[in-house]
Amino acid sequence: MTAALAIERLEKRFAPGTRPAVDGVSFDVPAGEIVVLLGPSGCGKTTTLRCVAGLEHPTGGRISIGDRVVSEPGRGLLVSPRERDIGMVFQSYAVWPHMTVRQNVAYPLKHRRNSGGGDINAKVKDTLELVGLGEYAERPVVSLSGGQMQRVALARSLVYRPQLLLLDEPLSNLDAKLRIRLRDELRRILKQTGMTGLYVTHDQAEAVVLGDRIGVMKDGKLLQMAPPGEIYNRPADSFVANFTGASNVLTGKVLARSGERATIDLGVAGKIEAWTPQPLNAGDKARVALRAENVRLGERGPANVFSGKVIERRYQGMQTVYDVEMGGQRLEALELGTAARHEQNGEVAITLPPDTCWAYRDEGVAID
Amino acid sequence: MTATSTAALAEATQPAAVPRRLGAPLWVGALVIVLAFLVLYPLLMLLFGALSDSNPVIDGFGKFRPSLDHFLKVLGNENVHLAFFNAIAACGGGTILAVAIGLAFSWIVVRTNTPFKRFIAGASMIPLFVPPLVAGVAWSILGSPKTGLLNTAFKWIGIDFRVDFYSMAGLILVFGIYYAPYVYMFTSSALQNMDPSLEEASEVSGASAFTTLFTVTFPLIAPAILAGSLLSFVVMLGIYGVPAALGAPANINVLTTYIFKLTAWSPPLYNTAAAVAILLMIVTAILVWAQQRVLMGKSFATVAGKAFRPRSLNLGPWRWFTFGLALAYLFVVVVLPTLALVIAAFRKFLFIKDFEALFDMRAYGWFHFAQVFDNPLTMLSIYNTLKVGVITALIGGALAFAIGYTVNRTQVPGRKAIDLLSTIPVAIPGLVVGVAYLWAWIGLPGGLYGTIWILALAFVARFIPDTVKALSTSFMQIHKELEEASWICGRGLLSTITSVVLPLARPGVVASMTLLFVLAIRELGSSLFLYTSDTTVMAVLLLDYYEGGNIGKTAAFSLVQTAILAVLLGLTNWLARGAAQGSARVG
Repeated sequence: MTAALAIERLEKRFAPGTRPAVDGVSFDVPAGEIVVLLGPSGCGKTTTLRCVAGLEHPTGGRISIGDRVVSEPGRGLLVSPRERDIGMVFQSYAVWPHMTVRQNVAYPLKHRRNSGGGDINAKVKDTLELVGLGEYAERPVVSLSGGQMQRVALARSLVYRPQLLLLDEPLSNLDAKLRIRLRDELRRILKQTGMTGLYVTHDQAEAVVLGDRIGVMKDGKLLQMAPPGEIYNRPADSFVANFTGASNVLTGKVLARSGERATIDLGVAGKIEAWTPQPLNAGDKARVALRAENVRLGERGPANVFSGKVIERRYQGMQTVYDVEMGGQRLEALELGTAARHEQNGEVAITLPPDTCWAYRDEGVAID
Repeated sequence: MTATSTAALAEATQPAAVPRRLGAPLWVGALVIVLAFLVLYPLLMLLFGALSDSNPVIDGFGKFRPSLDHFLKVLGNENVHLAFFNAIAACGGGTILAVAIGLAFSWIVVRTNTPFKRFIAGASMIPLFVPPLVAGVAWSILGSPKTGLLNTAFKWIGIDFRVDFYSMAGLILVFGIYYAPYVYMFTSSALQNMDPSLEEASEVSGASAFTTLFTVTFPLIAPAILAGSLLSFVVMLGIYGVPAALGAPANINVLTTYIFKLTAWSPPLYNTAAAVAILLMIVTAILVWAQQRVLMGKSFATVAGKAFRPRSLNLGPWRWFTFGLALAYLFVVVVLPTLALVIAAFRKFLFIKDFEALFDMRAYGWFHFAQVFDNPLTMLSIYNTLKVGVITALIGGALAFAIGYTVNRTQVPGRKAIDLLSTIPVAIPGLVVGVAYLWAWIGLPGGLYGTIWILALAFVARFIPDTVKALSTSFMQIHKELEEASWICGRGLLSTITSVVLPLARPGVVASMTLLFVLAIRELGSSLFLYTSDTTVMAVLLLDYYEGGNIGKTAAFSLVQTAILAVLLGLTNWLARGAAQGSARVG
């Protein structure tokens, strides 16, 4: 089966000679799958999406939707957005304020070259039911709330069952509570309709809930494309690890590596066993990343046991955050529960389970 | 805080509070009186004039025989009907043309990759600065049926086609091309502020660029289009110069030219003029009110709080077509009229036998300029114009500052009334201001009528809304806390204004005063009824030359007036920029 969307070595430069906004990105989206592009602002995720939509013109690579190439600048090929058979949901909703809900949703059916025939009214009605706006068909869109407007936008892009649905941070203009509700509902609607989706966001929670696979982007490059569990437990790269929340970084030197296991010398603190996706060599400088919630305070496990000192304790009610000093390096540890068990300035045993410690080559770049 | 210290504090502030309590009503009262004197009194006199049949010149001031009959008779008069419908036709047609041009231009400039967009955008504003009478004169030189340069050119080329700008079509055409920038100003900013994803959504939905333009883009900026067309209609309705130059030869009267004709009658029909002026004012007021309503309504297209990069459509080779369209417009509205004025001003006779004769240098010279400057009235009118301009700018600027500060920066009771009074003139065409001031002062002994001052006061009244508006924006940029900090430091209100507000608002004040100065020196409508031979101004003298029939002298003086205006515009622009830089250092 061919992929619903195939992107090969996509490149986009906004001006010749500048750093590309999208730099050699390749990935496929099989039919029925939802892929989320995740990354900080300016990482090129929205530009990638807009290249797929045809709203930006790529400067290199190839984009195919279904079995049709829609963009290949090398051959001077560019299909206009309206002929790509796509739907798109915008961050600003982009519902037309001079029309009613029904007029907005019926618009694509009226103006598409091959709208698939059938009864426009029935299609509009079904789609509005699907997004939960059945009652609102005759309302002017300006009388709706933000969440409702975004549902109209979703209905408008689903009503003609495009091959591919593009969503550009559709929830980022909504308030936190509504965002969570609409996020879960969005997943239900997309799965119910069997839609193939490309979704762009900077919100990890959204990415994890919505995506069958997540692609993490930085500086125009796709760093890792994998199912959410893998992104969170086996980050391919120190940026991915840090971006998804592994905020602790220990620095040291590689002592030995066999396969995906590496032993790293952390200096005064001692040696640490870690998982690594990279072919590290003995003597390389390395960084070990781990999440604060994986630091076990007061425990002596089978491996990676250290001793440290609690420098600061911040009680937060449902959890307690500790700043721990360990052989001259700092760690942040998170303890769940309403009782804080470790004293400030107290000595404490620390276990760092090897599976949750990820070693990467130290490129000498600061991690923000 | 203890009770005693509160009491002590209250006691301490007491002496300061008393004069403040008296000062505010006195100040508001004074402003209201000044505005009533400038705006309400002339309007009331105009109303008396329209509703009576007593003539202030013949019967003397103070005689008032009320008679509604007279007003109704005027409203039933066929000539008034004709002038009314002519005005509606000319301004309506002109507005439609202006919308077509303004919309096309704003789309070309904001939404396409047409080359030299910035230049086009800047140059297309030039028509706004051309005095209407100068435009009318230029187009009469170009388009008069017999000697018009366009017809001469057609004859040379051998095209059997003649144009006649002394016609309704001519009026509409000239109105349309000169007032398109008003529509452009509104539509271009609406297009600029429009969320581009609204159009992208349509494109992704499968609609063509053309469909998107007419089902999404234009409907979304409809309020801006409406506001722009109402404004351009109102402006055209109040213009005297263009219909005087192009309509009069064909005996086409619009409301403005008809009003003036009535006062030039012998004996002058001041009452009838007042009645027609009231009619013109009512129509204008309704349209201005409608325009304000449109602007107040929430605009569809603008999305607050986010900066957009407006979408720029890649037109490919078609961008040279749009560039050509823009050049064609600029050629018609800037180059052709200028060329016509230059040829007419420097040629001894306008008749040009053939194409070669156009370049016969012996036919060119400074004769007309020499004649114009031989006339002692010329220098007098220039001197008078500048004098009126300076007086208007100084009085109007000071008054606008007082009004702007009181309305925007204080909580004094009565400031709403001041705001209202100072906004009324928005709805009064210049010509009506002229008739109203005529009625207000002609019969009064003590002689303000016939002096430079009545012109200046009329201009102040006419332009006070624009000046206050221009000033208010600069007030709003000064944070209230800057003033409060000065009060906390122990400065009083007046001292705060002079030491904090005035220096910070200086660029705004200078800019508003220069705006007022430029508006005053090109104003014709209100001057028509208020000048005397001693106080004639440039715009009026130009009309004299035109009606005298000597096209060479008219063209020459048009160029002189345009040159003076251009120099002053450049100078004031430079001054305003200097002031802005000066204040940047202060701020």
